[in-house]
Amino acid sequence: MAVEVQNVIEMGTRLALCSNERGIMASFGIYAAFNYNEFFFRVVSRIKRMIREEDALAFEEKLYASVLECAYYTFHGARMSMDWREYVTPMIDNPEDEVRALVAFINVFGVGFIEVEELVPGKRLVTVVRNAYDPGRYVEEYGPQARSSCYMFRACTAACMDLVYGPEYPDGMGTFAATEPLCRAKGDAICRFVAEPAQGPIG
Amino acid sequence: MNLLTRYADIDIEVINMLDLKITFEPENNLLRLNGELVSLHCHYFNSGLIKALEEIPYLDAIKVYREEVAAQFYLNFKKLISDIRDDISPKHLLIEAAELYRFLGYGRLDVDGLSREGGFVLSDSSYFVVSWLARYGRRTSPVCHFTSGFLAGIMAAVYDTMPDHYEVQEVDCLMIGADACKFQVSEVKDGS
Repeated sequence: MAVEVQNVIEMGTRLALCSNERGIMASFGIYAAFNYNEFFFRVVSRIKRMIREEDALAFEEKLYASVLECAYYTFHGARMSMDWREYVTPMIDNPEDEVRALVAFINVFGVGFIEVEELVPGKRLVTVVRNAYDPGRYVEEYGPQARSSCYMFRACTAACMDLVYGPEYPDGMGTFAATEPLCRAKGDAICRFVAEPAQGPIG
Repeated sequence: MNLLTRYADIDIEVINMLDLKITFEPENNLLRLNGELVSLHCHYFNSGLIKALEEIPYLDAIKVYREEVAAQFYLNFKKLISDIRDDISPKHLLIEAAELYRFLGYGRLDVDGLSREGGFVLSDSSYFVVSWLARYGRRTSPVCHFTSGFLAGIMAAVYDTMPDHYEVQEVDCLMIGADACKFQVSEVKDGS
């Protein structure tokens, strides 16, 4: 059975994610919180424009690393959940199905519509996003950018590969690294993310 | 401190008059909070963002962070309360703001000590303390920068001024061993 992307997304959106009486939202082994998309765009874009170019690159890589941790642990927590086992696991026949299911799951977090464009087992995952929030805002606010801006999707794409083809959880984080060769912030029509082994092919 | 007890003298029906709702747009895979785009992030990212900002040596990046929290919650809370602000008191609007804060997953606020001139806010449950402890462990300085910005923004929305009218300082924090995080809210004398 192939992975039905919409079924994964529907399962994800049905999860009971809500904060308790103390205002804490704990799920999948992580603490979650909602915030306005504009907030993250505004903070990160303002800071990048206030610091030196090399520091802006380092700042973005720290954000990438934080999202990588976030995605690695959250997605692992999700795939261990009873809901995942009930609705998603029956659709998974091989590691590639699991990658496709994890990419589909990214869609429930409200950051945009991400899809798999190409998957070479164990070697390469290419994803595309057409409606990421930040790149559109960069162009609106500051005009076309010299560099790609979507650290969140970049890290999420790498995390999917880490979880499926990297060393067994929790040792696989960072096995893959992702780049964003196309980004709407640069004037491209879509954002494209490519995850490949961080230090050459595995095995 | 038990906030539920604290609010016992207020008609419970007043609380959550905003009818807060997160909706999912399946055609675009986007989330909205009462119409505005939001997304869900975990403690690794939210505390990682704060750490990355604090590590910039020559810029008060946390000030920028607080300003943006204040600006976003000022704009959005103002929209959220536009239909009810004439019907209920500023005190009740502040309780609605505390409910928004809780609903979004940031913890629990006691805003009973606030008035137009400012005052104190207590929080016995903080997402940012829990997050930082889970990711990085104990630190020796307060960590609830977000809450300071949030309070400046919602005070401005409730009292119909601008976010830079209020200065908020976290004077005590669960992170450093206090029983509750404590925020001092005061008017900036030359603010708008």
